[in-house]
Amino acid sequence: MRFLNMLVICTLVLAAAAVYKIKFDSTLQGARVGKLNNELRGERDAIAVLRAEWAKLDTPARIQGLAGRHLALQPVKPTQFDGLNHLPLRSPIGPAGGDPIAALAAPAATGSVAAPAKR
Amino acid sequence: MARTNKLPESRWQRVLRSLLYGHNVNRDVKARARLGLAVVAFAGIYGVIAFRLVMFAMASNGHGGARTVPQDAVATARPDIIDRNGATIATDVKTPSLFGEPRKLIDIDDAEEQLTAELPDLDAKELHERLASKRGFVWLKREITPKQQQEIHRLGIPGIGFLTENKRVYPNDATVSQVIGLVNIDNQGIAGMEKWLDGQGLAALHLAGLATDRLQRPVQLSLDLRAQYALRDELIKAREKFQAKAAAGLILNVNSGEVIALVSEPDYNPNNPREANDPMRINRMTTGVFEMGSTFKCFTVAMALDAGKATLNSMFDASHPLQYGKFAIHDHDPKGRALSVSEIFTYSSNIGAARMALAVGVPAHQAFLRKMGQLDRLRTELPESAEPLVPKNWGELNTVTIAFGHGLSVAPLQAAMGVAAAVNGGLLIKPTFLKRSAEEAQKEAVRVLKPQTSRDMRYLLRLNAEKGTATHANVEGYYVGGKTGTAEKVVNGRYSKHKLLTDFMAVLPADKPQYLLLIMLDEPQPTPETHGFATAGWNAGPVAGKVIARIAPLLDIEPRFDLPKADQAILANATESR
Repeated sequence: MRFLNMLVICTLVLAAAAVYKIKFDSTLQGARVGKLNNELRGERDAIAVLRAEWAKLDTPARIQGLAGRHLALQPVKPTQFDGLNHLPLRSPIGPAGGDPIAALAAPAATGSVAAPAKR
Repeated sequence: MARTNKLPESRWQRVLRSLLYGHNVNRDVKARARLGLAVVAFAGIYGVIAFRLVMFAMASNGHGGARTVPQDAVATARPDIIDRNGATIATDVKTPSLFGEPRKLIDIDDAEEQLTAELPDLDAKELHERLASKRGFVWLKREITPKQQQEIHRLGIPGIGFLTENKRVYPNDATVSQVIGLVNIDNQGIAGMEKWLDGQGLAALHLAGLATDRLQRPVQLSLDLRAQYALRDELIKAREKFQAKAAAGLILNVNSGEVIALVSEPDYNPNNPREANDPMRINRMTTGVFEMGSTFKCFTVAMALDAGKATLNSMFDASHPLQYGKFAIHDHDPKGRALSVSEIFTYSSNIGAARMALAVGVPAHQAFLRKMGQLDRLRTELPESAEPLVPKNWGELNTVTIAFGHGLSVAPLQAAMGVAAAVNGGLLIKPTFLKRSAEEAQKEAVRVLKPQTSRDMRYLLRLNAEKGTATHANVEGYYVGGKTGTAEKVVNGRYSKHKLLTDFMAVLPADKPQYLLLIMLDEPQPTPETHGFATAGWNAGPVAGKVIARIAPLLDIEPRFDLPKADQAILANATESR
């Protein structure tokens, strides 16, 4: 009987210690979760600010201003587009001189396709 | 009361009562019963305590998380708004706001002095009033910079604190303003799509204090930011060039009903809400109603063709002005002979259009326009909309004038919806500002015209760009079709010859339409370049041409140069496929 009582008391003390440890750990973990959540929120806000800045820098009005100031490019005309089906076919016989680059530079094999005649 | 209590005494109660108080019961048994009752009572009490303890332990996690929430208490987050390609149109940025707790303040004058030194734009008198009030919480200044926050924090005034708030930012300034609308200082939508968002349950979320974080899904609009910008850029130039009071434009996907771009100049910068209240800056595409002029002939011709009252080659007499009572209907460019339906369309003959409408009759005309959605208020996601101005007693004279676009005022978006139905195969699709596919749109679409009629309309619009009034809008390679419209504005109850509203409807490409472009100029002035004319063919048309040249590559329209004229490309093709 006494042995049983001692056993029960020991178990009780051990159980209390274990519960205390679990509780303590969980509090620590909880604090960590809170901190991480805060950090996450901070990072997300920072990302939002960066995105807003990016969008501001990327706005078409600004790009057009920059392009007009620094580039000598013109808007693309409809005649400058062409379909893949208008690409010249590769010549079935290999270049005679064995110099593919020279052959490519030759006007017969390359050059842009002439713009279609205006109607 | 006592009697009713005694009557339904159950057997168990009787046994218990006799056990506890009965005279004829053994004292031993009685004592044990009393003890048992006490044990049960105490066990119950401790049980409840234990249960509550467990509950608290379980809930404590939630409390730990809640500790950080008050900092965000006023944060009314809104979802980001993005365009159809994912570019940001509106987003939230956190900014600190300064508040005071007057009850905790020790020295009001000292606090006031220090704060005004730090924030010079703060009104000292108002600040004093707020700090001297007996309230627990007062806003001192919303949206201060992080640097100011640091400085004020360093002052260490008791009873002064900061809250982070969400501030709505529109990176594109005025470009999208007419669609997007804006928010007030509490981040509640007060116009445009922002207001629509609040109507979608966001306002309730804000009230419940749940919209604290930016975890909400972004809202994707149908707009294309690049096309929107290009359209606005051209309209601003056009407005300057023609010194127009206002310029507005719209790009509509005719197959899905998506609004790709909507501009109404003058507009406002949503980052600066004060501008938005100016009545000049309304959204003319949805909130204004206008007599659309000759673009309405699209409806007249489509009606006559669809009702079988005419074919493309039917002749209508346009040799003399049409006399109606004391009114005479003239043509802008009289031909003095009978005209075929195609000629009526390309010469934009008022007399011919009026005769076509009369051939159909007044009730049918009315019913047709109602079917095309021109007589009822068009409601889209935008909260602002306008009711068309429909004549109360619609007689023959009304039918005559409405046939060429006078006497019925509609919102331009509404007219665009109708013309889109005339070219897309005959389906009336309600415009939307949210991204959707053509299939989704076709499910809700209503068939209003025969496919055959729609094909004829495409032909007429293309023909008009080849040799009619819309030649100035013809961009080589994109197979544009179009119709001009010039309406005289009513000044003091009379039509004015000099105050015009010009508009232009363009479809591209005309053989298989994808997009409808509407350009509208309010009171454009003649310039030397236009030879003194101020009609649509000279201003709205060329503007449309410029816009098309800019937007077509953005909208993935392939330039084609090998297409034959309208007669073969549209009419002949269709007869083959039938």
